[in-house]
Amino acid sequence: MPKIEPIAELAGYRREDFSVCLGCKICGSVCTINDLSRDANPQELLLNLFLHQDISSESNLLRFCTNCYNCANACPWKIRIPEVIRALREEMNLATTFEKAFKSSVRRWGRVYEPFVFLKAFPFLVREGYLKYMIRWTEYINFHLPHRVKKETLPEAKVRRSRLPRKEGGKVR
Amino acid sequence: MKYAYYPGCSLTGSARKLDKAVRHIFQKAGHELVDIPDWNCCGAFEYGDRKELMDFSVANLRKAKTLFGGPGEAAQKREDSRAEVLAPCPACYRNLKEANTEDRFKLYHPLELLNDAFLSSIPAQRDLKGQIFTPYYGCVLMRPEESAIGDKEAMERIITRLGGEIEGRKIRDRCCGGNQFFINRWATEKLSRIILEKSRGAIVVFCPLCHMALTSFSRNRKILYLTDLLLYAMGERRSL
Repeated sequence: MPKIEPIAELAGYRREDFSVCLGCKICGSVCTINDLSRDANPQELLLNLFLHQDISSESNLLRFCTNCYNCANACPWKIRIPEVIRALREEMNLATTFEKAFKSSVRRWGRVYEPFVFLKAFPFLVREGYLKYMIRWTEYINFHLPHRVKKETLPEAKVRRSRLPRKEGGKVR
Repeated sequence: MKYAYYPGCSLTGSARKLDKAVRHIFQKAGHELVDIPDWNCCGAFEYGDRKELMDFSVANLRKAKTLFGGPGEAAQKREDSRAEVLAPCPACYRNLKEANTEDRFKLYHPLELLNDAFLSSIPAQRDLKGQIFTPYYGCVLMRPEESAIGDKEAMERIITRLGGEIEGRKIRDRCCGGNQFFINRWATEKLSRIILEKSRGAIVVFCPLCHMALTSFSRNRKILYLTDLLLYAMGERRSL
């Protein structure tokens, strides 16, 4: 079961900060995921987290959160739920191929070098059928060499604590 | 006026067009944009650790400081007026604004600076009479409140000033799902299609990610950066 303390800390909160949640579920009613599926309920996620309940990595909220901040904006306490979800994703090790490619580029050059990200995620892009958009992307293509940012000016890469292992069946205990 | 300019990763790559346009427009209006030396990625929305994410932007602001600092008198002068930083990419703008905790910098998005005085200082050759536009801000410029742009009617104001008509006000701050584009494509498709259906005319955006998401799923609708409209009005672009 995901521990709340490290997740809250990642998102810049303490556990007790979530106890102010009034349960009004306004976050659920404004959530963008309502347009995609039926079970958008950030309030339940906060509650489960607070009570150390199971959180499924298959939950639609974790998978589809678009960081639109509708919930945070509507929340009476302005709890930044998207950041809690991002912290959860990080803690549960749910990074996708594209996110990994993004971070790897930032580690290497200090910036996102798009050709590198594209090549690194290429098998994923082929498998998932992204190539059909290539015709529409011609206006985005331009060539430039990567710039390497001086390492000492970059924030130090954090050495992560041992992450929760991803288990079969999508549940993290 | 001198601004420290933070282009961000997208604007050096896929959104090069936006970068060129912003530089051009600001130069025409008599402002000086100086790139922040050796700037690094702002981390966008890819980092779960808030501290780690903010550190990227703190590093950028530190680098921006070197443009304004300077020894002796100049530094003393700068103490009174805060250093100005311009960031056109909504995600970068947001991250920089969140990292600016001690309020030592004044952060601007180009939309906040394109006021009437600014627009009168650039030459206008054409107008947009008889054309319909749907301004689309997307999420990051509008929410959350503390990092949103100051002027939430900026695009409407600029388009009306140029003579264009505004439609589709309901979708201006909906989410296009761009953030999920390279994770769950169908989710982005569904959200973007709602925007494409409920808008009329050309969709005017300012976010590189919205531009990419909407362009990918539109059949033959025009998706334009606001800067494209300005360049057209200035006579730098032949057509929209």
